[in-house]
Amino acid sequence: MVEPIAPNPLRRGLLEDRTSDACTVVIFGASGDLTRRKLVPALYNLAWGRFLPGGFAVVGVARREKTQESFRAELKDAVSKFSRRLPIDPAAWNDFERGVSYVRGAASEPATYEALRAHLEKVDAERGTRGNRLFYLAVPTAEFGPIVEGLRASRLVAPPGQEKSGGAWTRVVFEKPFGHDLASARALNDAVASAFDEAQVFRIDHYLGKETVQNLLVFRFANSLFEPVWGRGHVDHVQITVSEDIGVESRGAFYEQTGVTRDIVENHVMQLLCLTAMEPPISLAADAIRDEKVKVLRSLRKMERSDVGRSVVRGQYARGIVRGEDVVGYREEPDVSAESRVETYVAMRCFVDNWRWSGVPFYVRAGKRMARRVTEIAVVFHELPHALFRAQDGGIAPNVLSVRVQPDEGIALRFTSKEPGQQTILRDVSMDFRYGTAFGSNTPEAYERLLLDAMRGEATLFTRRDEVEEQWAYVDRVLEAWAADGNPPPPLYASGSWGPEQSDDLLARDGRRWRKP
Amino acid sequence: MLGRVDAELRALWATAPAPGEIPKARACTMNLVVVASSPALAQQWTPVVDEVVQGTPARAIVVGLEADGADALEASVSAVCTPAGVCSERVTFVARGGMVTRMPSVVRSLCLTDVPTTLVWLGRVQADDPAFAPLAPEAGRIVLDAAQGSLSSLASVIYWARARGEAERPGVADLAWTRLAPWQELCAQMFDEPRVRALASQVARLTLVQASAPGVELGSEGALMLGWLATRLSWRAASFAGKLRLLRADGGTVAVTLKSAAGPDEGRSALHGLRLEAGGAGLTMTGEIAREHDAAAWRMEVSAGAGDVRRIEQRVRLRASDAAGLLERTLRRPARDAALVDAVAWADELRREELACV
Repeated sequence: MVEPIAPNPLRRGLLEDRTSDACTVVIFGASGDLTRRKLVPALYNLAWGRFLPGGFAVVGVARREKTQESFRAELKDAVSKFSRRLPIDPAAWNDFERGVSYVRGAASEPATYEALRAHLEKVDAERGTRGNRLFYLAVPTAEFGPIVEGLRASRLVAPPGQEKSGGAWTRVVFEKPFGHDLASARALNDAVASAFDEAQVFRIDHYLGKETVQNLLVFRFANSLFEPVWGRGHVDHVQITVSEDIGVESRGAFYEQTGVTRDIVENHVMQLLCLTAMEPPISLAADAIRDEKVKVLRSLRKMERSDVGRSVVRGQYARGIVRGEDVVGYREEPDVSAESRVETYVAMRCFVDNWRWSGVPFYVRAGKRMARRVTEIAVVFHELPHALFRAQDGGIAPNVLSVRVQPDEGIALRFTSKEPGQQTILRDVSMDFRYGTAFGSNTPEAYERLLLDAMRGEATLFTRRDEVEEQWAYVDRVLEAWAADGNPPPPLYASGSWGPEQSDDLLARDGRRWRKP
Repeated sequence: MLGRVDAELRALWATAPAPGEIPKARACTMNLVVVASSPALAQQWTPVVDEVVQGTPARAIVVGLEADGADALEASVSAVCTPAGVCSERVTFVARGGMVTRMPSVVRSLCLTDVPTTLVWLGRVQADDPAFAPLAPEAGRIVLDAAQGSLSSLASVIYWARARGEAERPGVADLAWTRLAPWQELCAQMFDEPRVRALASQVARLTLVQASAPGVELGSEGALMLGWLATRLSWRAASFAGKLRLLRADGGTVAVTLKSAAGPDEGRSALHGLRLEAGGAGLTMTGEIAREHDAAAWRMEVSAGAGDVRRIEQRVRLRASDAAGLLERTLRRPARDAALVDAVAWADELRREELACV
């Protein structure tokens, strides 16, 4: 057994910043949109804020032929368009750029990994990155397997845990979607496990990097006010909405293979549901939190095929008006079949069958080309047991606590108040906390937080293998029921609306209705 | 006076936005009380405060003190808004003569409840100062600048805070200490590599360079850096023939050289360079940090023999001249900092007159 080496005494009590160990971030898919729009601006913002370690480098890997200079120029252009820190700080960019380099190669070619290994050794010597590597797979899912195998075969993966004894570490970040269904997710997880230990694997769901989502844990478990009413005794139902006003844009071909259930519900919606319903973890350690989320997923009432028709509604957007503009229907989008039966909207009624949530429905919905872009979790409390005030005085709506994930991140509590005046007129009012106004608007992007967490080996905001598989297991039952039913065409809804009428019926049958957030 | 200030604060939010104007929202995460030892210094820091509250909305109260002259109190009120319409309130005071000691009562009455209070004191101060003493217990965090004030001011406030009960003890931070953070990070990096780590207890030579004329005594930044290294690496200070000697835990000595050089921020004798040399068991390490304007060049050489020499270089921005960024970073650090307390206690015991930089 290798002895752990003593900690660096100069790191004892060092407060400055959340930097990681010296390391190289290797981005596969360096020519892609994600790299341009999110990853490189996030890394630059981290560099600007001095969150990156002194020994730091970025190595891009992609198929296209590029010189080092053209790659750096490409990244600078991306930062100048997509960074939240504009204009570019020339000194910060110059420091950052010094560590940027490029390796050309295809994921399927062994020579790519040999070239990469030689390049990384050179980077280690020049930049002091000490063999620590974060591989970021910003590529389509189909390339995950070949890259994992390429890294393993070319000995680019350090054994897990050796950093504790002073050795180098390797970590790998996978972009969503992680699999297409439960079987493919399992196969992918097995392939990943052949090269990496689970502790080295970081499956990204960028929703978890958003401030409001992280704040859910703080809100629930750092305030004594809310936890006592967080359950069946006080909560009537929960609504989770992830709606977008955009269509599929240039991703028609991708969407034809996925649909909103795989694209949004399997990951983002499930994670929001977990964070809302989970029990207090025993600590803030990554696995303690993820254990509680897995318990929620395992408590989800299994959707029998016969339930799907009653508890799930799907839809597909037709022509309509969004933000004052005429827009085409899904089947008229580029790379989309004119007879497509892919759902662009889904609403579900779920139950978490445990002590806390027994009998409380969780209504979740996700859709494209909806009335508004909004992601929110709304906890709707029970109605009053006895109406003391008269309905004609204004009526009393149930209290609602809404957690707005985007846009205008914040938390609002709706309650009833007396309108000023001689008469007792009741009005709904809202206590509103908004991040933008309470803390200023310069909050870090989700990718900044997640990239730095991965570099630091903090896995709390990443999805564990069993979480991913439980999420797919739940969603698969719905997908299988639709397939068994011959995959009928989804009902159409007008773009710019809140989804198909059947979705309203889903709640109306329970005597409830959707919020219009 | 206070009635007028209150009315002006209310008036800031009483006006409806003009057609087409972005509605303004008042935001507040803290009371940010900035007390400067002169009206000129307060004026110099007002734009800094305005910049800080863009990212950390606050009720800012900026006070310039002038103990001399006839009693007078001047006040002005304004809103400081981001382009998105998120606004902080700023109240600026100049207190002269006898009003200096009444100032704390004015400030306390303007602090909002239910948000934390940070007191930034710019200039020399002792914990029993009549303007400081009534305000300090109100604050959850006190920020000083040992480089502009003095190390003894910082020590005095730290000792005062340490004497208070745990529940009412404010955190004490220091802008000079925040300025040193990148230097500390770079020093720590010299010993991050596992094979070099053991050399942290084998440092044989330390060279500190400060921006000053020759013969000037070691400034607060240099003293804090020395205190930090000493407390982290378990060095004891001993005086020998009028010169500072540092003794390592293993009984070895660390030769200390204090130098001066022309460079930016000579006014506050800013740290300008640092070199650490360590060796043992067939391995030597030399690490050097040299300030270049607002950046630092970091070089490290590890040698395990003639054929095994490795050199690494990098440049790091210090942002030492960005006062708003410095204050913002200080406000975002954890309130309690044991390393600062240790370093100040160590440095405060040095006989500074023995520490002239050649």
